[in-house]
Amino acid sequence: MRRALGIGAWALAVAAGLAVFLLLPHLVSDFHSRDLAGAGVFFIAIVGLNLLTGYTGQISLGHGALMAIGAYTTAALVVHEHWRDVWTIPLAGLAAGIVGFIIGIPALRLSGLYLALATFGFAVSMPSLIKKFPGLTGGSQGLSFFESAPQQITGLTGKVTIFGHTMTQAHFLYYLTWSIGIVGFALAWLIVRGGLGRVFRSVRDSEVAAVSSGVNLAATKTLAFALSGVYAGVAGSLLAIQGNIVSPLSFTFRLSILILVGAVVGGLGSLPGLVLGALFVQYLPTISTHVSTRSGVPDFIYGAAIILAMILLPTGAGGLLRRAARPLTTWLYTRP
Amino acid sequence: MSRVVIAIFGALALATVASGAGTATPGVSPTEVVIGGTIPLTGVASSYRTVGLGAAAYFRYVNAHGGVNHRKIRYIIKDDAYDPGQTMAKTRELVEQDHVFAIFNSLGTEHNLATRPYLNALKVPQLFVASGATTWGKDYSQWPWTIGYQPNYRAEGTIYGRYVAKTAPKSRIGVLSQNDDYGKDLLAGLRNGLGKKKLIVSTQSYNVDDPDVQSQIARLKSAKANTLMLFATPKFAIQAYRYAYQLGWRPKVYINTVSSASNTMAFARLASNKKQLEGTISIVFIKDPTDPRWAKDRGMKLYRTVMKKFKGTNPTDVYNVYGMSAAHTFVEALKKAGKNPTRDSIMRAATHLNVKNDPFLLPGVVVRTTSSDHFPLDQARLERYHNGRWRYFGGMFKVR
Repeated sequence: MRRALGIGAWALAVAAGLAVFLLLPHLVSDFHSRDLAGAGVFFIAIVGLNLLTGYTGQISLGHGALMAIGAYTTAALVVHEHWRDVWTIPLAGLAAGIVGFIIGIPALRLSGLYLALATFGFAVSMPSLIKKFPGLTGGSQGLSFFESAPQQITGLTGKVTIFGHTMTQAHFLYYLTWSIGIVGFALAWLIVRGGLGRVFRSVRDSEVAAVSSGVNLAATKTLAFALSGVYAGVAGSLLAIQGNIVSPLSFTFRLSILILVGAVVGGLGSLPGLVLGALFVQYLPTISTHVSTRSGVPDFIYGAAIILAMILLPTGAGGLLRRAARPLTTWLYTRP
Repeated sequence: MSRVVIAIFGALALATVASGAGTATPGVSPTEVVIGGTIPLTGVASSYRTVGLGAAAYFRYVNAHGGVNHRKIRYIIKDDAYDPGQTMAKTRELVEQDHVFAIFNSLGTEHNLATRPYLNALKVPQLFVASGATTWGKDYSQWPWTIGYQPNYRAEGTIYGRYVAKTAPKSRIGVLSQNDDYGKDLLAGLRNGLGKKKLIVSTQSYNVDDPDVQSQIARLKSAKANTLMLFATPKFAIQAYRYAYQLGWRPKVYINTVSSASNTMAFARLASNKKQLEGTISIVFIKDPTDPRWAKDRGMKLYRTVMKKFKGTNPTDVYNVYGMSAAHTFVEALKKAGKNPTRDSIMRAATHLNVKNDPFLLPGVVVRTTSSDHFPLDQARLERYHNGRWRYFGGMFKVR
């Protein structure tokens, strides 16, 4: 009986989540939907980072650079090859996955802080690297879809029609981003629950124990980096599609830090809290500048909020959710 | 720009007008004029925030004194964290959601380049862009809805080049420049000003998110340069003084206007010493709020009043003065745009300015534009840093 109730509660939670996803843009203004779509980009990147850092234990401070790979793949295909913007998403994911695999190789020799530094170096050098190839990337000006390939922008006129259903561009971007986010989330959940997830966690908890149980460390780590890179690439691609522009200034190391902050606030090693992590990094700058625009105050509030989140939510928002639901879950899953 | 985008946006603009309030100008009501712009309030470039906040304080002052033609000016500042992707999104929000009359004082070269095609296609005025790139004033036939404000970087570089070529033709020049359009414009100007004289012995660049410029300064020193051009933002300019000092290298320094504010120089002095700064040369077009020369000046008295009574921040920050000057010019343009300003009339006014009494600019600097001159500020004087303060010398230059 309780088992049936448990499944029911679970199904209810999923249904509620889906209802929120479908209805949310209709409850807020059009431009708020655009902000929510921006949060969706963070969500996808954070889910990817969580696979790598939360479940496999490999710290990466280079995910902003992987997003840059995805964004520039999209922009180059749209601007130089005149692809339709949305069709570039898979290739952007693939490109960033390959780059993720490559930066996974140093991870075989480095661990902990040293790996964090190596990936940080990757993030710091990315803007200069982008400017090195102005023919492909547009140099420091970046690539503007509006200027070079406006016909390829989906919803340039402000309206998008899919299967006879017309919606505003902001709603389209919201549904596009969060649909991909939900699919990505579901895939990550399946991976984490399956055999591969067990292998990832074994590497995180003890490399020695993992190797002695027959886990191929090199393959596991590079695979985790590649998978995580695919997520970052897709996120970067969506960022480019939403902004209609890519520029080296969008991919400074700050972005990498933001993604890590989102993952930590959301809860490393937990998936549902990541939505809150994504909303946190998306809305914190707006909120902090609303409080005051005096010199230094927004940055101070920003930092203080992150420290507070760490103190109050040591296991992230995911941990808080688990604790809040514990009475229910204990009741459901214990035999009377 | 592609014709397609104009056609599409033209259709969109018509649709917006048709569905909106008839033929009324967006953002203009009997009691209010709504304008907006993006400013980096957070992030790597947040020290420029006073460009927006200074302008906002001045508008509050104007509103408290009755506004313009009985309309208050509401200036919406959006934070773009110095990320052009966000500039685009926030600018669309200003135009399509807040229905602003015009975009005003948005900051950054790449950032304004990103929004220019969009704003021109929709015929939304992009007024007094806070960037010194040359394109704002030069390319008006292609982008008629865009106009810059400050003296352009290329012209500034040219002034330094001419001055060196004339006064010290045997110099060995080392250049530190930021690796983007801003740094490249200054460098191109310098080469132009030097003419046929090949005096540049080394050019070193850095990226805006680099941690420091220590190795660049060391390389400039080892190239045996005796003149140093700092085409760098304040943080890196201060570092340049510091590392040169540590290396015992004392070149003749030229510092671009972006970094020549007195408070930046004060930091540079703390990071090195007084001797290291002595004789540094720059150009100036705006009144420096920390300069004792302006203690009794009417314009700077007004500045201090506005800062105190209308919620200004950091009164010693020269970017406030810049923002107020841009706001002053906007008010003048709005007055000229008629009783019922339209986007057409404000653009016409902004391109036919002749403002001689801007209280925040150096005496003699006139904000002037004509239908073929889209550089509002194109005058400046040379100044030399001596005994801890700037003194200008020589006559007024045309910065073109």
